[in-house]
Amino acid sequence: MTPPGLRAIGKPWTGKPWTGKPWTGKPWTGKPWTGKSWLLPTVAVAIAIAIFIADTVTELEVAAPVFYTAVVLLSVRFCKRRGVVMVGIGCIVLTLVSDFLTPPGSSPETGFINTIISLLAIATTTYLSIKIEEERTAAYEARAQLAHIARVTALGELTASIAHEVNQPLAAVVINGNACVRWLEDQPPNLDEARLAVGRLVKDANRASEIIAQVRTLTRKTSAHNELVNVNDIVRGILTLVDGELTQHAIALRTELAEDLPQVRGDSVQLQQLVLNLILNAIEAMTQVEEGSRELFIDSARTADNGVRVLVRDTGTGLASDNLDRVFDAFYTTKSEGMGMGLAISRSIVEAHGGRISAAPNAPRGATLQFVLPAGDAP
Amino acid sequence: MSDRPPIVFVIDDNPSVRQALDGLIRSVHLNVQTFGTTDEFLQFKRPDVPGCIVLDVRLPGLSGLDFQRDMVNLGIELPVIFITGHGDVPMSVRAIKAGAIEFLTKPFRDQDLLDAIYAGIERDRARRHTAAAVGMVRGHYELLTARERQVMQRVVAGRPNKQIAAELKLSQVTVKVHRRHVMRKMKAKSLADLVRMADRISNATQTA
Repeated sequence: MTPPGLRAIGKPWTGKPWTGKPWTGKPWTGKPWTGKSWLLPTVAVAIAIAIFIADTVTELEVAAPVFYTAVVLLSVRFCKRRGVVMVGIGCIVLTLVSDFLTPPGSSPETGFINTIISLLAIATTTYLSIKIEEERTAAYEARAQLAHIARVTALGELTASIAHEVNQPLAAVVINGNACVRWLEDQPPNLDEARLAVGRLVKDANRASEIIAQVRTLTRKTSAHNELVNVNDIVRGILTLVDGELTQHAIALRTELAEDLPQVRGDSVQLQQLVLNLILNAIEAMTQVEEGSRELFIDSARTADNGVRVLVRDTGTGLASDNLDRVFDAFYTTKSEGMGMGLAISRSIVEAHGGRISAAPNAPRGATLQFVLPAGDAP
Repeated sequence: MSDRPPIVFVIDDNPSVRQALDGLIRSVHLNVQTFGTTDEFLQFKRPDVPGCIVLDVRLPGLSGLDFQRDMVNLGIELPVIFITGHGDVPMSVRAIKAGAIEFLTKPFRDQDLLDAIYAGIERDRARRHTAAAVGMVRGHYELLTARERQVMQRVVAGRPNKQIAAELKLSQVTVKVHRRHVMRKMKAKSLADLVRMADRISNATQTA
C-alpha cells in the first residue's frame, strides 16, 4: 500500500524538483519561518474592518463585500483549515450585518443581487483556499516522508557498523563488571580498583545508550521543527554513528569544531540527516579509491555575518568540475548504486533553513561540501 | 629467566574495550600493556619476559588477521588470542590455523579470555624455554672446532670410532680424543644426550 503522502513524489520531482521554493515560503508549521507572527493577522483584521466600514457607509448596490476575499486569501498564510473556514464564515456574517445597517439605496434589487454575488465569492474563495492549504500540507508531508525514508535507508546501510559500535561499549561493560567482581573477591578486596571499574562501566553503558538514542532520533518521523540547536552537537552525534564505518574503511577522521558557534534555529533531525548524508557521501567516495590515505575532515566555523559554516572534505573520487551544479539535483548520481537523493535532500534541508550549500573539487583528489546556515536568535 | 612476571599485550582500537581489558587483566595480577594500533605495539620496546597478545580482529588499517601473518616475518613469536565484535566461521578458522590460541566473540566470558591468556603465556614460556635451551646448545656447538664438528656429526649418526677414523683419515686414538672434547664442550652427559642436542640444533635450523 502506498502511503497517501507519497502520491506527489513521482511527478513533481522529475522536472526541476528541489528549487527550494516550496519550503522557503511556509516550511514547517504553516507559520512564516521568520518575521513576526502577529503581523499578518493584524493586517487581515484591519482590512476586514476597513471593508466593513466602507460597506456600511456606502449604498447597498456597491459590492464592497467582494473584497472580503482578500481577507480569506490572507488568512491562508497564518491559519490552518479550520481557521480559514472560520474567517470565511466571519466575512459572510460581517457582510450580512452591514447589509442591515446600510440604508437601502435607489436600487434595492441590484443591492440584493450584489450581496448574493459577494457571498458566493467569499464562499468560493474560502473553499479554494482550503484546497490550496490541503495541497500544501500533502506536499509537505510527502517530502517529510521521503526524507524519513531516506534517513531510515541511510541508517539501514549503517546497521552492521552501528551494531558493532553498540557492541563495543557493551562488551566493555561486561568486562568491567567481571573485573570489578574480581577486585572485590581479592584478599583483601581492592575497593579503589573496583570503584574505578564501576566508573568505567557506567561510562560505557552511557556511551551505548547514546548511540541508541542517536539512532532513535534519526528514525523518528516528526520532531520539533523550530528549536535552537548547536551544530557541533549535531556533528558529534552523527560521528558516534559513523565511527565504526570509518574504522572499517580505514578512514582517518580529523575535526576542527569551533567552540564559539552561534546556535541555529531549525529541525535538529533534519540537520542530523544533512550531516549524515554529507559524511556518508564522503565515506562512499573514499571507499571507491584504493590507493592513498583516506581522510575525512570536518570543520565548523562562525561566518563573517554571524552564521555557521560546516565543511566536509574527503579524499575520495571527487567531482568533475563541469557537473558541480548538478550534484544537488535529484536522481543525479555518479555511483553505481544509489538513488541520487542524498544531496538533493541535503540541499532542500539547507534551503529550508535559509542557508546555502555548495560543492567543490579538492586538490589533489576528493571533494569539499560545505553549507552555511544563518544564526538563530541571539543566545 | 622464566620466573620473571609475564606480560599481556592488548591491541584494540576501541578505548572502552582497551581500558576494560586493562582492568580485568590487572585484576588477576598480570602485567598488561595496551595499544590502540599495531604500530604502537611495534614501537613499544618489549621486555624479555613471557607473554601473549590479545588482538582485536577489526583494526584501523591492517586487520588483526593480517597482523598475525606479518608477525611471523617480523620475528614476533608471541601467542595470539583474537577478540572480535563480529566473528564468522571462516575468520576463526583462518586465525586458529595460523596458530591463534583462541578466537573469542565480544562480549565473551571473562574466564574464557583469562584461560586463553594463561594458556598463551604457558605456551610462550615453553617456547622460550626451548629457545633458550637451543640457544645454549648452539652456543656450545659454536665452540667446537671444524674437526670436532665432523666427528660429532658421525658420532650422533651412530658410526663406530673405527669407521669415523677411516672416513676422516685419522687414527682411532685421535678420534677418541676429539670425541671426548666434543662431549665435554657440549656438556653432554651421555651419547643419548648428545644425540638429543644435535636434534635440537638441526630442528631449530630447519624451522628458522
